[in-house]
Amino acid sequence: MNHRPFEDWLLDDQLLDPAQKRELDGHLRSCEICSAIAESNLALRSARVVGPAPGFTARFQERLVLARRAQRRRTLLGTLFFSLGGMLLLAALAGPTLVSVLGSPAEWISAMIQALLFIYTTLLAVTEAGSVIFRVMPGFMPPFVWLILLSTLSGLGLLWSVSIWRLMRRPQGVQA
Amino acid sequence: MNEEQTWILQAKNGSDEAFTYIVETYQTPVYNLCYRMLGHPQAAEDAAQETFLRAYQHLHRYDMKRSFATWLLSIAAHYCIDRLRKRKLPVFSVDEDEETTFQIPDAQALHPEGEAVRGEHREQVHQLVQTLDTTDRAAIVMRYWYEFSEKEIAEALNLTVSAVKSRLHRARKQLGKIWQESSTTAQVERSPYESPAF
Repeated sequence: MNHRPFEDWLLDDQLLDPAQKRELDGHLRSCEICSAIAESNLALRSARVVGPAPGFTARFQERLVLARRAQRRRTLLGTLFFSLGGMLLLAALAGPTLVSVLGSPAEWISAMIQALLFIYTTLLAVTEAGSVIFRVMPGFMPPFVWLILLSTLSGLGLLWSVSIWRLMRRPQGVQA
Repeated sequence: MNEEQTWILQAKNGSDEAFTYIVETYQTPVYNLCYRMLGHPQAAEDAAQETFLRAYQHLHRYDMKRSFATWLLSIAAHYCIDRLRKRKLPVFSVDEDEETTFQIPDAQALHPEGEAVRGEHREQVHQLVQTLDTTDRAAIVMRYWYEFSEKEIAEALNLTVSAVKSRLHRARKQLGKIWQESSTTAQVERSPYESPAF
């Protein structure tokens, strides 16, 4: 037998039967490459497990305390930074409006009333238009169109409910 | 649920005592993996500490259906691989090894000569492993020191089983080649004045 299968047996760490083992032993006596692979495999198999210096757990606990302290500091600094940033941003955005309101309150109050009136009249108009459409539409639409429309709306509602339920579900075991 | 899983569950629920038990139990395997990966005791100590810190911070992500040892060693291996990729570590020193590592007692170490030869052998193995590519090294360490199956190595290193097989094959070939070269060099060094004629 040539060199190749023996090398593959060693490199793939294959399980050998007694006859194959005998053949391999014979080959190892004459092949330097295969005997080097076999020796290095054997050396790795007999290698020792090295442990840390004594007191590893105590050193870890010290490190954990430091890490927790650093985490607390980061959280505090982050909260401070975002709170201050938010307040500054709010002041920058709302500042000009606030100045104008404080400068002329009557003008600002009349503008607010106008806006509220506009919203109210728009809502009234939309409601009126909607009621007219609902009164007129049933005459134009045959019953099966209503059936399709209602089925579609129910289907969409069901889909929405299922999506919400799936999103709310807690994951069962997260892979590391 | 076995005793270990009970400890893990308690640690997940925030018990520091339970996590201390985990550190006590796994400190040697984690340190050994880091030492074999990084080749330097101080770097190994740091990496092992960091591994336990990461495990502590991400314990809620651990799936109790998986092996805890595989999960923990996977964290250690990934950390060491990242570290080796980020920067080249200084070459380790044999003297430093003696000072800062703690060898697990060997029952066979009764004969000084035999122990010296074995020590030389161990050093050779350690140096051999350091020549490998980082991921190949992790696969070899997991296979030979922890007897992980190819599937377990694949899980720990986020590789496919066929990729693990191919990496182990390549690593063994490289180790054999270096072993052969170092044996030849050692023979030449031991008999520098000998002539082939005699």
